[in-house]
Amino acid sequence: MTTDAVRVTGVTKRFADHVAVRDLSFTVPAGVVFGVLGPNGAGKSTTLRMVNDIIAPDGGEIRILDKFAPGRDAAPHIGYLPEERGLYPKMKVVDMLTFMAELRGVSIRDAKLRAGKWLERLGLTQWTRNKVQDLSKGMQQKVQFAAAVIHDPELVILDEPWSGLDPINAEVLREVVAEQKAAGRTILFSTHQMEQAEKICDHVCIIARGAKVLDGPLVDVKRAAVKDGLVALAFIDEAARAAAEPVLADRSLILARRPPRPGDTADLEVELAAGAAPEKLLRELVATGAAITRFEVVVPTLHQIFVERVGAENAAVAAHTDGAA
Amino acid sequence: MSGGRRPDWLVIARREFLERVRTIWFLAVTALGPIGMIAIIVIPVLLARVNNGATVQIVDHTHALGAPLAEEFGKLGWKTEIVAETTDEPTLLGRIRDGSINGFLTVPSDAISGSGTIVYQGDNATNQLVTIMMWRINQQVVQHARGVAAGVDPAKLEHILTPVAIESKHTTGEASGSSAGAAFVLGYAVMFILYMAIILYAVNVMRSVVMEKTSRVVELMVAAAKPQALMMGKIIGVGAAGLVQIAAWMAMAVITITYRTQILGLFGVAGDGFTLPPLAWTDAVVIVLYFLLGYFFYAALYAALGAMVSSDQEAQQAQLPVTLLLLIPMLSMQVVANDPRGGAAEALTQIPFSSPILMPMRWLLGGSSGLDAAVSLGILAISTVFVTRLAGRIYRVGILMYGKRPSVREILRWLTY
Repeated sequence: MTTDAVRVTGVTKRFADHVAVRDLSFTVPAGVVFGVLGPNGAGKSTTLRMVNDIIAPDGGEIRILDKFAPGRDAAPHIGYLPEERGLYPKMKVVDMLTFMAELRGVSIRDAKLRAGKWLERLGLTQWTRNKVQDLSKGMQQKVQFAAAVIHDPELVILDEPWSGLDPINAEVLREVVAEQKAAGRTILFSTHQMEQAEKICDHVCIIARGAKVLDGPLVDVKRAAVKDGLVALAFIDEAARAAAEPVLADRSLILARRPPRPGDTADLEVELAAGAAPEKLLRELVATGAAITRFEVVVPTLHQIFVERVGAENAAVAAHTDGAA
Repeated sequence: MSGGRRPDWLVIARREFLERVRTIWFLAVTALGPIGMIAIIVIPVLLARVNNGATVQIVDHTHALGAPLAEEFGKLGWKTEIVAETTDEPTLLGRIRDGSINGFLTVPSDAISGSGTIVYQGDNATNQLVTIMMWRINQQVVQHARGVAAGVDPAKLEHILTPVAIESKHTTGEASGSSAGAAFVLGYAVMFILYMAIILYAVNVMRSVVMEKTSRVVELMVAAAKPQALMMGKIIGVGAAGLVQIAAWMAMAVITITYRTQILGLFGVAGDGFTLPPLAWTDAVVIVLYFLLGYFFYAALYAALGAMVSSDQEAQQAQLPVTLLLLIPMLSMQVVANDPRGGAAEALTQIPFSSPILMPMRWLLGGSSGLDAAVSLGILAISTVFVTRLAGRIYRVGILMYGKRPSVREILRWLTY
């Protein structure tokens, strides 16, 4: 039984004029949906390319499914959706899928069957004998997902899978990911779109400037961020709020007040003072008799955690080195 | 799953082969090739016939040669007219300009008695056939007149002036030489087919590499297979398609040349009854070996070129140096044909850039010993391995580079990766 789908240990990759990945280590447990998150140019694609043996690391080690180094032996067990999408424009759709499966070690006969099944699954059966170039962009994207999973790989790697997807195909992709996960596969993907990542990730690894910022199960990462103690409050009316005011003004309980985030229905957010537990605040508020409609320990979104840990400045710096990664 | 897994290059070669062979174009070009070959044989003969007529005026200062010359030219179907001796050159040149005559022949008064030069001026003087006929007829008529003037017995003179029968046979020591013309035609045809095939398919490899880059499908491919397997698979797949086409063409060429007379007959042209020298199996082996190695050699170069550039337009420019390498043997073809056993031919057929195109020709003309061919093949094989390795390194790095065209220094650095 495989325990780790991918183990990256101290990996470094230098290009001519900069270091793309610096002493990076993380472990992707088998069977999870693992997101490598970071701003553009952080080294996400470079890392995934090294796992796919497209480029070789200058230092460190990569193990795949506990036993393979990146390369030909690992290839049948990996499915890959590159960031730069492309298919052979003049190939028939079914031949394209069959060919990709074959290259990943599936026999021709089996590959043809699977190609047919996938085309049916994605609603492309009537296009089977058409050339790839006759398909719309959205349909080509579906074919590309299929090419990444047609050989039933244990590890599915998706590089920026949402870039350029229309909402319908984004949904198709989420379904495919969910199916793959349900079938016990491991999904390793990269993205800079935190909203998408938050919806499907079990694990995250945030990197910036080629180095790891933090990693772990999404739940743990979020819990760690909660400790900072932010509570969203709402009262039934102004009178209720006035009644609660003495507690809100208590400096031993509340360090600061701030307005609610845009779009949020809370009246205000409060930052708890050091040593003040949320339940203590709740007790005090209840004791005032004020009618409270909402009391919520704020769990920051992944996006908030990301901006806080990586910094807006880092995301900006990254933009111009994007091409190299 | 990995037990019976086929090598990546084979999977890739199969795709490349099928993608080419399954197109209408492949069928069309394979089928139309021979029609082109038939055209190459028939059209010149037809054109030559159309061109045969000529209108020539004769200015005869000897008062003796005009009539016999006109008679001989008449036999060729030319229209001749003897004009007044006083007709000056500008008038005659004017007639050429206005198209009323093709040219005029000026026979000086001492053409028979002395060594005066007979001059022909005409718009068709570049026509080889016209030049040859002009020379032959003048020679014959003037010599006849000189014989008569010297008082030689007309019957003896007739015998003396009968054209000598000459026939050249091509041999390098064998007892039964074949017709020199036929040996040359075969050697030339083989050389031309090899040149066409190598340039056609090697360039096809380059274009296919560029297409993979521009369509970005290369990203998908490099994740599934090693770049080396990609390059080899592509070269082998395209080459296999080429081999099928050449085999078809060769077969049709042999049929065409063998039945040349009959084919010309269909167009109402008399054949010249020449026969193709027999092609021994060793000849076939030599041709195929040189095609394979030559193709690999150039295909690897073109694959590397394809990997260096990002668009078809850039590829057009970048391929010039390699195309020039291929042009050198084409332009040196005559050197080998004229003296297949000479030093220049020897050198050209040992250099790997030119040997794949020129050696089969030299071999067919009998200019090369078995040892020569073995050494040349050895050099070509080693160079091909070397070039393929280098190209593989450039390819490996180049296929993932888009945008800016790399400098020579960058490419040299890729070789060390």
